[in-house]
Amino acid sequence: MKESLMDILCCPVDKHDLELTVDTKDDEEIIEGTLTCTECGEAYPIEDGIPNLLPPDMRDEAAA
Amino acid sequence: MSEEPSSPPANTPDRAAGSVQAVYDRIADHFASTRAYAWPEVESFVTTIADNEGLGRALDLGCGNGRHTELLAEHGADAIGVDVSRGLLSTAATRQRDHGFAAGLVQGDAATLPFADATFDQIVYVATLHHLRPEATRRQSLAELGRLLRPGGLALVSAWSTAHDRFDAERSFDTTVEWTLPGGETVDRYYHIYDPDAFRAALNASDTIEPLVVAVSSGNCYAIVTTTDGDATPDWPVESVL
Repeated sequence: MKESLMDILCCPVDKHDLELTVDTKDDEEIIEGTLTCTECGEAYPIEDGIPNLLPPDMRDEAAA
Repeated sequence: MSEEPSSPPANTPDRAAGSVQAVYDRIADHFASTRAYAWPEVESFVTTIADNEGLGRALDLGCGNGRHTELLAEHGADAIGVDVSRGLLSTAATRQRDHGFAAGLVQGDAATLPFADATFDQIVYVATLHHLRPEATRRQSLAELGRLLRPGGLALVSAWSTAHDRFDAERSFDTTVEWTLPGGETVDRYYHIYDPDAFRAALNASDTIEPLVVAVSSGNCYAIVTTTDGDATPDWPVESVL
């Protein structure tokens, strides 16, 4: 994801701002990292360049 | 096709989008390979806006393999695609690399969206609402649609309709429809099939959106909606799009 996406993303649950932590970057593209809600503290992973902003109760339901 | 609602399989999680997520993760590659082209109704919506006021920041909600995200991007939108399924988002990322269009991709739930209020000028929300259950979740998703649109922004909404040839019911019903994988294995997908009156009623019941035009096209219910707090309607005839 591009860092500019931070302008419009928010926590899916309480809609508050997110704080970005970058682990891996490729040019302008953030590949791995974390988005943390500044209000509730929930941490959302960025994996393979795509932020996973599913609400926490849906995050682990992906197919095996 | 039975008119009775079918009961969900015993192992289906209650939170329906979860099962939709698992199903589409499972069939993502094959599904994506069969969904190469934009739907004509979506193309008409996107090109009409592009030719008039122009596209702004646009969301493809339930983007699947990204065919409509690509359509938005190639007509000048700052495009974002959202899907519940990581498998489908991977196919969208591949399509993006192969076709070379710029768009943001986000994994998210259509009823609990991770975007600030009034973020989007346009939203394309096709063939997704009918996968959500129960009704409260579909209602919540339509409320989110209005929250995300800037005042006066436009969204195109579609859902599978009882008017489609394969159904003989006249009232809305719940069902599962099989997807057959290349090896012959089948995977059930949940659908809420809307009768056109119920579709219109669902849109009218939402506090945040107002339908400008509702129509049946290609066996789907379609609507162009705007926000309830916008005061300007498009200066082109919305009914000509559907």
